[in-house]
Amino acid sequence: MGHVRADRVAARGHQELVKSHTTMVVGAEDSSAPTTATAGTGQRPRHGRHSGLFWALAKRLGQIAFVLVGVITITFSMLQVIPGDPARLILGKFATPESVATLRHEMGLDLPLTTQFVNMVVALFHGDLGTSLVSRTQTVNELIGPAFANTMSVVGFALVISLVIGIAVGIITGIRRNDAFDRVLQAVMVILLSTPPFMFGMVLLLVALRTKIAPAGGWHGTPVDSLKYIWLPALALSIALTPVIARSLRQSIRETFAQDFVEAAIARGLPRHRVVLRHVLPNSLLPIVGLIGYSLGGLIGGAAVVEIVFNIPGIGSRMMAAVGSRDFPVVQGIALVSAVTVIFFNALADAAYWIIDPRTRTAAL
Amino acid sequence: MLTQTPTPAPRKHWLRLPHWRFAARRPRGALALGLALLALIVLATIFVPMISPYTATEIAGKPLMPPSLAHLFGTDTAGRDVFVRTWVGGRNDLLMVVLVVVASSAIGTLVGVVASMSSQLTDSILMRLTDALISFPGMIIVMAIALVFSGVGEVGPFPRGALPAVIAIVAINWASYTRLVRGEALSLRSRDFITAATLLGYSKTRIIIRHLLPNLATTVVAYMVVDAIVAVVTIAGMPFIGAGIQPPAPEWGSLMLAGSTVLYSAWWVTVMPGLVVTVYGIALSLIADSLLAEVDGGAR
Repeated sequence: MGHVRADRVAARGHQELVKSHTTMVVGAEDSSAPTTATAGTGQRPRHGRHSGLFWALAKRLGQIAFVLVGVITITFSMLQVIPGDPARLILGKFATPESVATLRHEMGLDLPLTTQFVNMVVALFHGDLGTSLVSRTQTVNELIGPAFANTMSVVGFALVISLVIGIAVGIITGIRRNDAFDRVLQAVMVILLSTPPFMFGMVLLLVALRTKIAPAGGWHGTPVDSLKYIWLPALALSIALTPVIARSLRQSIRETFAQDFVEAAIARGLPRHRVVLRHVLPNSLLPIVGLIGYSLGGLIGGAAVVEIVFNIPGIGSRMMAAVGSRDFPVVQGIALVSAVTVIFFNALADAAYWIIDPRTRTAAL
Repeated sequence: MLTQTPTPAPRKHWLRLPHWRFAARRPRGALALGLALLALIVLATIFVPMISPYTATEIAGKPLMPPSLAHLFGTDTAGRDVFVRTWVGGRNDLLMVVLVVVASSAIGTLVGVVASMSSQLTDSILMRLTDALISFPGMIIVMAIALVFSGVGEVGPFPRGALPAVIAIVAINWASYTRLVRGEALSLRSRDFITAATLLGYSKTRIIIRHLLPNLATTVVAYMVVDAIVAVVTIAGMPFIGAGIQPPAPEWGSLMLAGSTVLYSAWWVTVMPGLVVTVYGIALSLIADSLLAEVDGGAR
């Protein structure tokens, strides 16, 4: 791979999105876009010091509401389109029509669709995701709670691994010239970027089976008890994010280097490591924040798959079992909880932007 | 290659800082290598099933035979030839990827261009919709939808479960293209040649088709290539949770899943198709990098 100097990132498509995503978040538009064509907050006259913040927040909240309504509607209609009557499913083939009708009434299935929808939304606002169709004694909350905790622990661990390795590689390749070392690391990043996490997971599993460096899949109790089970799947999952972080950071470090204040710092004769650590790095790390928020949805989806490979009782296996037994409230619950998690962390990433980079605040005004 | 620029320090320092301002680089040979690898994979999916002595479902030998000349990728638990199954599966994967990428880019580009050319109200409505879709927690919703409908749709060349997966992905995926295209289109719109076309009295449709779209093509194609990597990871990941293409139709992901039970004794059933997926990803990464370098080079 001698000539692979894949500096313009394959993941740059994502970066573009991240960039636009973050500018969208703070209410600023692409600098390349003529302001005459922008809509929304950019156009509003200033009313005071905080009006920009107010509009940006309002826009963001509106968007969150829109996404939530979208997810709820999609999952609700999913339940409606599925052929078959849940009450009939629970009671089985030989149930009398009367008992089916009684159960339908109990479950509120005989109510008009709009009423059912409203009831569901009201229940959701109380944090109630409904009852499992299969084991009617268990609520969806009880069923997916532990599974979700397991999945998120894998995701969180993977995130930490990605950040540590990705930032290290990003800095190393960012501050060096295009030498052989940089090229090799770049090539490795391209290969990692091209490997699906479940594929990498299986290779790791094979290694674990042969060398016994970690238990080959499985789980034990809570995520805290299962630390020795977590790290391998987390490592597998992390390759979805590590190369993206590394390449994004490399790119942004190099862009920062091209700016005048860095040249000024070098000209003032500051120690090199100080230039890198105090001047370049803080100004280059910002895109990573958005990248994390943006990738979280994909990571949760990826975790669902990796968990199956490592035999971890997370949302992946829970969802699969639920579809197998047509337990759709559970599917709906998983989709909703994942959605809310992603939305929450995206909002958190926006807030982090706001705090870290004062420029995004003025941009919104 | 990079032109040598003088280091700011008089002496050689352990930390040689880069000076990037004029460091335009083009990955040399990367495009050719990427295209060659991709061509190899596409040709294999077309011709291997034709010329192979085995079919994808036939029992071609003893179960779990390691790779040999008779069975390049070995045989699986049922004694079927993994090589043929990999490439027949590749047909299904590539077909789905092409459909996903083409449909998403067509819808996304159309909406993006329309948004950039229409009134502020329409533009902002379209963009709010797009923003919402982009911040949608895509993958899990896509998987849920594909999973729920996985029993539906054996249409033409598509095995059961393929079309619901494609539709679910496209339904959320197009928005990324819209955001990309609208941004580009807006910056193009302020350029002189578009102003000239407007002053000449050309219709909006003509400006879009004759002036905007050709200039957007490289960007969109570059993103399509990136998207094709993401799409295959999503599609091949689906069988793991029971969504996507349903057995017995082979597919890269389901082949690997089937091998996972015998991973220790027969690694080839999993690793061989996995390697093909990885090579596919590398090929597309190389192509995408070159195309993006082209886009950036052209802009400056």
